[in-house]
Amino acid sequence: MQWRPVYAVLEREVIRMFRQRSRLISAMVRPLIWLFVIGTGFGAVLGQAGGVSYQQFLIPGVLGLTMLFGAMLAALTMVYDKESGVMRMLMVAPFAHYWIVIAKMLAAALAAVLQALLLLILLAVLGTLGAETRFGLLALGLIATSLACAGIGMLVAAFTRTLDNFAAIMNFVIFPVFFLSGSLYPVSRLPAILKTVSLANPYTYGVDLLKHAALGVLPSGMGADFQVWVDLAVLAGFTLAALLIASWRFSQESAYEPMIHILTGKHGGGG
Amino acid sequence: MNQAPLAVRASGLVKRYGDVLAVDGLDLDIPAGQFFGLLGPNGSGKTSTIHMLATLIRPSNGSARVAGHDVVKDAVKVRAAIGLVFQESALDQTLSVAENLRFSGLLYNLAPAVIEERAAELLDLFELTDRRNQAVGSLSGGMRRALDIVRGVIHHPRILFLDEPTVGLDLPRRRKIWRFIEKLRTRTGMTVLLTTHYLEEADSCDRVAFIKSGRLVKSGSPRELVESLGRYIVEIESPDVSTLARRLASGFGDCIKDGDVAHFRYAGEDVTRLAPLQGELGAQLSALRWRRPNLNDVFLWVAEGKL
Repeated sequence: MQWRPVYAVLEREVIRMFRQRSRLISAMVRPLIWLFVIGTGFGAVLGQAGGVSYQQFLIPGVLGLTMLFGAMLAALTMVYDKESGVMRMLMVAPFAHYWIVIAKMLAAALAAVLQALLLLILLAVLGTLGAETRFGLLALGLIATSLACAGIGMLVAAFTRTLDNFAAIMNFVIFPVFFLSGSLYPVSRLPAILKTVSLANPYTYGVDLLKHAALGVLPSGMGADFQVWVDLAVLAGFTLAALLIASWRFSQESAYEPMIHILTGKHGGGG
Repeated sequence: MNQAPLAVRASGLVKRYGDVLAVDGLDLDIPAGQFFGLLGPNGSGKTSTIHMLATLIRPSNGSARVAGHDVVKDAVKVRAAIGLVFQESALDQTLSVAENLRFSGLLYNLAPAVIEERAAELLDLFELTDRRNQAVGSLSGGMRRALDIVRGVIHHPRILFLDEPTVGLDLPRRRKIWRFIEKLRTRTGMTVLLTTHYLEEADSCDRVAFIKSGRLVKSGSPRELVESLGRYIVEIESPDVSTLARRLASGFGDCIKDGDVAHFRYAGEDVTRLAPLQGELGAQLSALRWRRPNLNDVFLWVAEGKL
């Protein structure tokens, strides 16, 4: 495999991201609403809990949220590509079809990281980003979390035929993954059932890694819940598993007809 | 074989979808450089054949080599050697003309400078140069088709598959697309495998093959095939065409019926022998005419299974 095809997919994703202004603007507005409306509101009720304001506590969560949405929307262009026909260009290109999944996944992660970086700049300008932020860990957190989010996105994309059910994806994937992740409340304080679900959610460990970067480990339990290596191990394991499953699924589809029928709108005998 | 290496060699190619046999033991040899037309009615297996040769679906049985590579074992090598233009667009509507070509070129591992150069040359050939920076979504159907072909040849494939390249276009645009393809062929000498059901477009093919129900039923140069039909096609129009057809069967043989019109083949050169038919059949006749056959006639006779 040569790197140029992968680069082509990445470049196209970035062009499309900046061209779809409303997608980019809502990617910035969404976390700011969480931070400044919900964060401020709950902060007023809760006050300073364990050395951090609720707004500060939310920062890793909204960074994660930006990446979750960014990666999901980018990964779902895979479905758009099947519908619009761009997938035909990828299918006839001279490389094994699983490379399409790898390239798409990297493109989704890149879109997620770029949006998170834009948000970080905004937060720095607004003075919300704490001076104690550990940037090495932050970079690690952004990369690992964006890849895991891209993994979730590729899994969904691999099993989705049309974008008609995007609302279902929002309700049954994005929201549960976000709400049950420790983004809004520390995992350690959740009731047993929710805690178990959160522990099984790979995205939890991405947010936790970002908490390490932004908050550190706090005695109050408002900081990170797990050790850095645990976060990294879970994220890496999940990302790899997601990539393998999505590639397997895609190669099934592409080698055994369904894909070409989606792409040509033909069934059976064909013209 | 050195003088005329085969661009495509298929033997006993079969494609089965459940109980449906889309392609039924197809044998196909296309020498390099040939302009080859695969013709047949809808559902005859043309697209399935192209998709198997282009490695997009797997043959259920049989084998095929394209540009010397096996379509199952060496799919990636086959894809590197071919260009494929689908019936439907493969372009990204949100990107510009140039961006689409850059995307496609990079997928073939071409260096950006090479893509620039080839894009400029091809856009010039296809009269799209001043649309370079326009979004594909804003192009007319004909221009989009032209760009789709440019997209399909940006990597200079040795073999180009064109699956109904002019479907849905009006006549002037179809002619234009054909002029482009002709220029491209003269310039590159590439092998072209075409499917179409606009038969007049296949007239310029070096060789055409008719397929029916996934089987190759007739092949040859368009001229040979047209000549094999006879010198003339005699059309007899009548409200009771069946009775007339039965009456004439002894002298003219089998016919094909198209509404109120029966088509007979006439091998003789002497058309004066046809004129008396008018008097013979008299009032039952709405119209009587004869003309030279063309590929459309071959298609009709093949489709009816009478050739």
